[in-house]
Amino acid sequence: MYDLGIIGGGPAGYVAAERAGQKGLKVVLFDKKKLGGVCLNEGCIPTKTLLYTAKLYDNAREGGKYGIDCSGVTYDFAKVMQRKDKVVTRLVAGVAAAMKKHAVEVVNAHATIDRQAADHISLQAGNQLFECRNILLATGSEAMIPPVKGLVREEILTNREILKISQVPGSLAIIGGGVVGMEFASIFNSLGSRVTVIEMMGEILGTTDVELSAMLRQEYTKKGIVFHLGSRVTEIRGREIIFEKEGQELRVTSDQILVSVGRKPVLEGFGLEKLGVEVARGGVKIDEHCRTNIPNVYAAGDITGFSLLAHTASREGEVAVNHVCGIPDRMRYNAIPSVVYTNPEIASVGLTEEEARNKGIPVKVRTLPMAYAGRFVAENEGKNGFAKVVVGDKYNEILGVHLIGNPSSELIYGAAIMIEMQMRIQDAREIVFPHPTVSEILKETLFTFNE
Amino acid sequence: MSVPVIMPRQGQSVESCIISNWFFQKGDRVKKGDILFSYETDKAAFEVEAEADGLLLERYYNEGDEVPVLSTVAMIGEEGDEVEEAGAKRRSRYSGIEKVEMLKSGNVEKWRSDGVTGETIFVSPRARKAAERLGITLEGITGTGPGGRIIEKDVQEAAGKQSLPTPLAREIALEENRKMPAAGSGAGGRVTSFDVLAPAGGPAEEAEIRKVSNIRRIIAQKMHESLMNSAQLTHHTSADARRLLELRKKAKALYEKSGIVDITINDLVCYAVIRAVKKHPMANSHFLGDTVRLFRKVHLGLAVDTERGLMVPVVKNADDLSIKELAMQIKEVAASCKKGNISPELLSSEAASFSVSNLGAYGVEMFTPVINLPQVAILGVDAIINRPADLGNGVLGFCPHIGLSLTYDHRALDGAPASALLRDIRLEIERLEVNI
Repeated sequence: MYDLGIIGGGPAGYVAAERAGQKGLKVVLFDKKKLGGVCLNEGCIPTKTLLYTAKLYDNAREGGKYGIDCSGVTYDFAKVMQRKDKVVTRLVAGVAAAMKKHAVEVVNAHATIDRQAADHISLQAGNQLFECRNILLATGSEAMIPPVKGLVREEILTNREILKISQVPGSLAIIGGGVVGMEFASIFNSLGSRVTVIEMMGEILGTTDVELSAMLRQEYTKKGIVFHLGSRVTEIRGREIIFEKEGQELRVTSDQILVSVGRKPVLEGFGLEKLGVEVARGGVKIDEHCRTNIPNVYAAGDITGFSLLAHTASREGEVAVNHVCGIPDRMRYNAIPSVVYTNPEIASVGLTEEEARNKGIPVKVRTLPMAYAGRFVAENEGKNGFAKVVVGDKYNEILGVHLIGNPSSELIYGAAIMIEMQMRIQDAREIVFPHPTVSEILKETLFTFNE
Repeated sequence: MSVPVIMPRQGQSVESCIISNWFFQKGDRVKKGDILFSYETDKAAFEVEAEADGLLLERYYNEGDEVPVLSTVAMIGEEGDEVEEAGAKRRSRYSGIEKVEMLKSGNVEKWRSDGVTGETIFVSPRARKAAERLGITLEGITGTGPGGRIIEKDVQEAAGKQSLPTPLAREIALEENRKMPAAGSGAGGRVTSFDVLAPAGGPAEEAEIRKVSNIRRIIAQKMHESLMNSAQLTHHTSADARRLLELRKKAKALYEKSGIVDITINDLVCYAVIRAVKKHPMANSHFLGDTVRLFRKVHLGLAVDTERGLMVPVVKNADDLSIKELAMQIKEVAASCKKGNISPELLSSEAASFSVSNLGAYGVEMFTPVINLPQVAILGVDAIINRPADLGNGVLGFCPHIGLSLTYDHRALDGAPASALLRDIRLEIERLEVNI
């Protein structure tokens, strides 16, 4: 009998397995694919590898601004992709090693729920049955393919296929200007593709603060990406995308089409229906302890259908494990950072101005250009960026921090701590920031609020 | 010349009372008749009025202090009058109990004006020191000492569980007079603003823990004892209420015209009950195990709902009263209960020989009232509703009936005599003869 059976070896599943193993639970982890899930194999990690290459290439070409002559700089896409694969392989091996270290039994097979008994749930994988006192559902999500006339699944790319292409397309059309779409847009724009982004909403990047999204879009417009906002794709004919924009029918023809309109939880194919687990708004419904409506059945990560971030998934996995062990813990979603790894990066945590307005929360907002941080000026010749801080109107508690400019991704966690700890402006002002760093922009912005 | 304000003696069994609220500060000018402070015994709450005009020169006890009866609580006089300083007088045997105003002392006024949040906690000095040393708040700690007071052990135990609030949570709690929960939903169990602002039963705290009031504790004990220590059961019937309604109509019209005394349905029912009970001495008694105390008079207990909880004051010698006198006395004792100045002597279950509980106004059609031991019976009076009835001459129709639920203690009374009493109550109601 296992204490915990985990279906899915992504950032929800493998982190939960690691934590549970550490706590001495007997754990079995099932994944028919490589450990690491979408994040490690076809998401976060490979894209960050490619984005770094793109950034390096950008910097080299702009070397002149910093007094370095890199004229004639080129790249070798095969080597770029090889390096990406090497990074992925290394990290997947790292996960396997962590499983071994914490005595997690890894079953490299498709697991299905067999039945629920009085004191356990049995899972079937291969021809074997595994009896588990608790199970964690962490099957993740997959790319959503919209029902567009003429769309042939094999002829378009998603995040999975585009990471396997052998040459940089001359032109790339991206349907969906969310985080995934913008990161690939960023990569291939840097590598020389003519990139077109077709977005249904009025602005790219979904719920990101609109000022940040607009600035990023303007930066990339300058770099040559063509954006079609408020555009609905009506048909795909081979390499041609037909879409409607402001009542007009427009067409874009490109060498490759990337579809990145969102992701949907994987709820089928593993016997979920046998347990009677409640599904709400397309995902498995969980409470603050990551419990489903069925006792001893937990869920974490993209299967829940919201947040859809690797770090949310991992944290949910930890909360579930803690609950299994009787350790008080609960999921909090108000301080989860999110990052767009474009160049420049966008990083934000907490409420945006718009969300606060929609929720009727009275807030004060201050923005400050990144140029107020000396380090940013030293390292970002001719670049822009800004920080935006949202605080509660009455108590001055920090509710949201939104940054655009490099390396926002590395400093947003500081803001997350402030929000998690419910610091007010006056509390956060007491924190010492290292000088000179870009992180000082946060401190500077906090000091622009009136006493 | 200064005049002392004395803690009155409330009944023979009461040795001390707790001051619930002071309405004047030291140095305030008071007028004769002003309510100086309120206090409570284990049974009821009372108020003390100033007996002279003057300055409140000194207050020897604070809110929450337990004061021995007949002690000097305060002095009223004029400027220049000499009084002993506070502290000198404060040496009762209860001086080891300290009262802590929740959250912050600067907020005393606010707390006082709000009866709900003005809850006081009792804490031993050792416990208070321990709390200071450990940096934890006393709020939310359940005391296990005498009378629910917080003792050092409680503080030490709480220290293991209690977590610090975030700066924001603390500010909101102070600013908005919110209760600071002992445990929170933030990182490491920190108390966050969400916990402070969560309604009771919200996600952060599954339920609000509230201390049981003295009166509630007494009720709990009495009711439980009654059910545990007697053999009670209930018979139900209903009486034709046409006569009642007719009398009520007459009384109402008269009251509206003359304004002397409003005689209600309940008054009329009580009047009938008294008449019936008088015929059944075994029901108008106390069952004491080896002996039975049979009353010559009817002392009628009346269940009264107050903000503090159920009280059952008694109307003594109720069988001597005319309907008007009875109506007046019932109103008087009920009002005293609601005001909190009823004498404890009139609240004792030993004082009444039979009780009535009327839930008719709530539309209750049938219930099983609980006997106030050592009484042997209690009548529950229900709502008036139309029931099928034989109207004579082979005509069946509907006529208003008032429901009657008689609970009796089978140890003292058998089923047949109890049923006979209930029948007589019904007949008295149906044939009620009174001078309105």
